[in-house]
Amino acid sequence: MKGNARSGDNRFLALPGMVFLFLGFTLLGLKDLSPLSFVMAVLVPACFFASSFILPRLIPADRLLLTLANFLCALGVLVLYRIRPDRGLDQALNYGAGLLGMVGCLLLVRFWHRLKWLLPFIALGALLLMALPVFFGTERNGAKAWINVFGVGFQPSEIVKVAALLVISSLLSRRRVLPALLFAGLCLGLLMLQKDLGTALLYYAVTLILVFSATGSLTFLALGALGAGGGAVLGYSMFAHVKRRVAIWIDPWQDYQGAGYQVVQSLVAMANGGLWGTGLGLGNARVIPEVETDFIFAAVFNEFGVIFGVGVVLIYLMIFLRGIGIALRAQSRFHTLLALGCSCFVALQAFVIIGGNIKLIPLTGVTLPFVSYGGTSLVSSLCIMGLLQGVAHVNERGLQEDQMIAMMGEDS
Amino acid sequence: MKLIKRNIRLVVTIVSLMLIALIAYGAYSLSFFGNRWFSSKANTSLRQAKRDVVPGRIYDRNGVQLAGADAEGKRVYHQDAAMRKALVHLIGDPGSNVAYGVESFMASLLYAFGDNYLTRLSAALSGSPRHGYDLRLSVDSALTRLIAERFPAGKAGAAVVMNWKTGELLTLLSLPGFDPMAKDPGIEQDPQQPYWNRATRWNSAPGSTFKVVTLAAALQNIPGVMGRTFTCTGGYQVGDTVITDAGMAAHGQLDLKKALAVSCNITFAKLALEVGDENLRRTAQLFGLDDYLLFSDLVVENAAYPKGSRPMKELAWTGAGQSALSVTPLHMCLIAAGIANDGVMMEPKLLLQAADGAGNVRARISPSVYKTPLSKGDADTIADAMRAAAQTGTAARAAVSGLKVAGKTGSAQIDKQENTNAWFIGFLDEPSLPYAVCIVVQDAGGGGEIAAPIAGRVFDYLKANYGGK
Repeated sequence: MKGNARSGDNRFLALPGMVFLFLGFTLLGLKDLSPLSFVMAVLVPACFFASSFILPRLIPADRLLLTLANFLCALGVLVLYRIRPDRGLDQALNYGAGLLGMVGCLLLVRFWHRLKWLLPFIALGALLLMALPVFFGTERNGAKAWINVFGVGFQPSEIVKVAALLVISSLLSRRRVLPALLFAGLCLGLLMLQKDLGTALLYYAVTLILVFSATGSLTFLALGALGAGGGAVLGYSMFAHVKRRVAIWIDPWQDYQGAGYQVVQSLVAMANGGLWGTGLGLGNARVIPEVETDFIFAAVFNEFGVIFGVGVVLIYLMIFLRGIGIALRAQSRFHTLLALGCSCFVALQAFVIIGGNIKLIPLTGVTLPFVSYGGTSLVSSLCIMGLLQGVAHVNERGLQEDQMIAMMGEDS
Repeated sequence: MKLIKRNIRLVVTIVSLMLIALIAYGAYSLSFFGNRWFSSKANTSLRQAKRDVVPGRIYDRNGVQLAGADAEGKRVYHQDAAMRKALVHLIGDPGSNVAYGVESFMASLLYAFGDNYLTRLSAALSGSPRHGYDLRLSVDSALTRLIAERFPAGKAGAAVVMNWKTGELLTLLSLPGFDPMAKDPGIEQDPQQPYWNRATRWNSAPGSTFKVVTLAAALQNIPGVMGRTFTCTGGYQVGDTVITDAGMAAHGQLDLKKALAVSCNITFAKLALEVGDENLRRTAQLFGLDDYLLFSDLVVENAAYPKGSRPMKELAWTGAGQSALSVTPLHMCLIAAGIANDGVMMEPKLLLQAADGAGNVRARISPSVYKTPLSKGDADTIADAMRAAAQTGTAARAAVSGLKVAGKTGSAQIDKQENTNAWFIGFLDEPSLPYAVCIVVQDAGGGGEIAAPIAGRVFDYLKANYGGK
């Protein structure tokens, strides 16, 4: 039981989660009478159990954080399977790959003190990777953020996210603000060239938060916010598609069969859901274009209702606060900044896309972390969890060493 | 390290608030706009339900069935074509050409979206279609049809009758109507736009009926104004314009009660200038102008007071009900009802009750206050002046013997229109017959000659049919 409070008790969450997943897939099985659904009804809760209870025994992880992320991933598999069964199966495989990535990132942080020399290579590799879509990219939904590797679509900015968090935290921990800004600026510039504005916005916000936290400069924070405002005005006046997005945001009903169709259908899907949802399998969120990626939240809302939608937002809030807890317990500037950056990235990404779905802010096409369909996106979200887990693990070891020193002190 | 952790506190606060804002905004927008999104044409699951579920029946307040379903579960309406035409904007049509009729705005009840999983499952297993809930509306179909027949032939317009104590709507009529069960190929080209619900979605200048609001602003901002005497010489210079009265009348010496009764433009122009644009706007806003109207039972276009600072002459004309004011007929009826109800405006309601096949009540009317723009004293003063208008003034043709009728007429001038729009707002100042009325006949002439007599017939009907209860 030692250190249980720190690593988090996850039973209260994991058991209802398993029941939820079992019932969900069983219900889908009763509806479409396909044996695959019943296999999934056993398999998915089993995997959820394994990754929430068995995995933390093999690797040193924060169980609560892991279980929360696991639940969102499994929810994604369930909802995607309901929308399109093949996508659900794909996502299950992506999830497996993501878990490997997570363990890798955990170890990377665990042994960072010996791997520091990798930093310049990571930074350079990240920039090269980010530059690829600019030259070899394929366009999807107006953004040129994808490249094809052996016929498989792949979004470099998602992977670079992980590297960027490491690079920026490391530079800032050594008080090298200018190089950190230069690196972040290059990433941003490349994202702008890819016209991937949602992701660029996230990079900008997280960099701003990290620099502010590292320097404590309110001037910088104000300048950064001002810069964002200026950028928004500039973007609005320069790019026609930004203007279109804003117009849709202000009144999607003006052209509900054309430009506003996606947002209108998202709102309609939520209204159809109401308080308790239409019930799994009875909704019609499939009519929303890009429902599997950008509008997965609307699909969840549609079938599970307001209560569940609020719950999903609260899960992101819990992940964020848990991550901040890890940042506050960290014992070096690097670990603090890394954990802070990871927590903020996940929380802000969830805010940007859910806010777009419910028309709180203009829509920008980013994925809902852990839930949306997409290999690169899911792997990168789990890698970020891995970085957080790594910091949590380093904290735990530091604590044990402290206790050992203290005990030895008492003995002597 | 300490520094970083202190800075983190600010970051945590901001990001947490952002996430909580998602919940707050989502809850707000869904509770206020959810039914509009749901009932919109964009909702494909509604189209699906209309194929799968037998629509609920719709009754008026006296039990007359206005809509039902045939043997195949398809929607059918009242057997009488004239009745169908009079009620089409209120009820809606199968093609949803009328925006926000009961058919679409109450679709979640009519198509039983509230049914739980078990009901849906047992319907699916038994193979018999599910039935929607039956609605009883507050509307009086006979009254609605009577008003449609009393309208000058071929004229467009609107009529609203509501209970000023409860907000129940007895009539929500828009003309011209159309028959929801007969497809008229020329209807899209009809310049009178029959699909348009003029009662709730036609924003225009209310003419002199707006003087009741100007009077309210004067009562709220100028102490002792009722005791003052004004002089009307038949012309009043404001800037480069001369305010005149209908028929170039000169009313001589008069107080405000008389000024409202004879609808003296010059006196009300002076009042508006004395009260000022800001105060007049504030009072208008107390009556719901510039408000985002989010009623539970129906969708009403927002009314607007002219924006920004304006030349004096325009303010003067606003006091007399012209100049860029835009208000719907339903909204003017709400204003009259608020004056009748001691200054308390009730939210307009249409649905008395919804019940499922087993007789379980699924929804029921709950009267609620929309706004309280006036004190009881001010409301009584305005009501008194409106009664004078109905006794000896411009609204005299709405009077009914044996009833305390209060009224105000209006003749709104509209660009590129031969005649004025004839307006009447008023109410019965009788606790046992608490009804308010708004009548508008487009491009027809003076309110006193055209609209007030129709209101008089409405009051006759109410006396005959509701007086004994």
